[in-house]
Amino acid sequence: MRRFAVWILFIVPFLAQLVALPWVNRIHPMVLGFPLLHFWLLIWMLLTPLFTLAIHWVLRKEEQA
Amino acid sequence: MMHGNALAFAVTAGIVLAVVLIGFLAGRDKEARSSVEEWSVGGRRLGSLFVWFLVGADVYTAYTFLGLTSSAYSGGSIAFFATPYVVLAYPMAYFFLPKLWRVAKEHGYMTLADYVGGRFDSKLLSFLVAITGVLMLIPYIDLQLSGILDTLQVAGAGLVNVKLIVIVSFLLVALYTFFSGLKAPTYTAIIKDILVWVVMLFLVVSLPILHFGGWGQMVLAVATQHPKLLVLPASGPKGILWFSTAALISAMALFMWPHTATGTFSSKSADILKKNAIVLPLYNIVLMLVTFLGILAFMVVPQGTNPRLAFLTLIHDSYGGFTQGLAYATIALASLVPCSIMAIGASNLFANNIYRDWIQPDASPKRLTLVTRSMVFVVIGLALLFGLAFPTALVSLQLMGVSGIVQTFPAVVLSLYVRNLPKEAVTGGLLAGLATVFYLYASHNAHGAYEGFWGLLVNLAVIAVLTPLFIGRARQRTNAVMKSLFGGRSEQSRAQQPNIA
Repeated sequence: MRRFAVWILFIVPFLAQLVALPWVNRIHPMVLGFPLLHFWLLIWMLLTPLFTLAIHWVLRKEEQA
Repeated sequence: MMHGNALAFAVTAGIVLAVVLIGFLAGRDKEARSSVEEWSVGGRRLGSLFVWFLVGADVYTAYTFLGLTSSAYSGGSIAFFATPYVVLAYPMAYFFLPKLWRVAKEHGYMTLADYVGGRFDSKLLSFLVAITGVLMLIPYIDLQLSGILDTLQVAGAGLVNVKLIVIVSFLLVALYTFFSGLKAPTYTAIIKDILVWVVMLFLVVSLPILHFGGWGQMVLAVATQHPKLLVLPASGPKGILWFSTAALISAMALFMWPHTATGTFSSKSADILKKNAIVLPLYNIVLMLVTFLGILAFMVVPQGTNPRLAFLTLIHDSYGGFTQGLAYATIALASLVPCSIMAIGASNLFANNIYRDWIQPDASPKRLTLVTRSMVFVVIGLALLFGLAFPTALVSLQLMGVSGIVQTFPAVVLSLYVRNLPKEAVTGGLLAGLATVFYLYASHNAHGAYEGFWGLLVNLAVIAVLTPLFIGRARQRTNAVMKSLFGGRSEQSRAQQPNIA
């Protein structure tokens, strides 16, 4: 179960930034002065560390267990 | 024709000279050059902050500033592939860098080729990894060299002999690297990155205000006048598929470079690498914002400007001498500082994996230290020679760098996780991958994807085909490195305890 969670947490940023692009490849709606495409890339720059941090927590719990 | 601004040039020269001086001062403690381990990986004693700058600062080079803005200037949003590239490199690094670091620490490895040689008991594979690293890194140093050439051409046009200055500054970098070892790029990278953040943020905020009244107005103006610049082409040689594959392959390649490996091995602990890998994606926000300035340049600078000079022309046309000087100095440092650590990475490969392994196996530690350090002059000298004498001959190699270096990924990373990976299969895959990349660059048709992507697919396919043929032998093999990675016992018990180090 934990392994599965780690795998999901790892793969989601890749899917979002590499595979999901055709669906966000638009200018509108603009968010915070960014075209949608660029806002999407920006937001994943901020989210990716959170995903890696979550992996870190899960693996540390496993080590302790 | 543009004219340089004397004040701008003076500011640039002053800042660069100050940093060169710091490069020398960094090594005033003799210990910095007492052994290969001290000189090239700082004795593996660097703390979190230094590792942050050594590993993170590699992203902010002259080539990224000038290359990304020029690619945004001529191709629009395709240049933003660099954003997912630098972000996604780190979640992968979170897993494999600490493993790699532990093995390197335990067995005293200084280069990735050292590791590959020990892991597979194969001098040949180690040599191939080393030669790939050197072959792809020298053109990469030349990208930095052309970056500083362009900068000085704008900064000092008509004022000075640009080529002479470039030769002198590169020799100074070689000299302080020879003298101070890893300490030089460590300290100078911190100064460079502080300047990068201050100056680039200033440009990102002020340029849209100067030309459009603000960031929002700038984006709106682009969206109404040139909407194509803000989306990716759905197909074609540089469309969405190229964007995704280029980002993925570049991310996988980032830690295969000899100089990023140097940064990795200099860390004091595996934990530092993990923590840096979690946070480092955030460090790239400036890079993304700067890429927008390439699009801004497209709207502002005169049509017909050489794309390579678009960003520099934009700076030249927008600011007075002092601000120009700060910006040029930043780009010049972003060219010189990374060269120092790149030269260390390449010198290590030359000295350890070519000189020691093949030419002089019984070289004494003292001699090896001197050879390693002296190699800096060879590396920088070759870069100068190729960059200045045959600037066009290397263009294809420069483009190939990332696609080429990523072919070592299976040898370096897959080998950390798959015990019975036969060396024959990895060697075949590496050669096939490199051949594919060379072929695709020569034929100019990569079917809409990044060349290194096809190379890596062929590489992995060859590994998959050859593995069954050689797996029997691979199962029999064992050595100290495999023991530290997978434990000493049979395969069954290994599955239960994958992480021993």
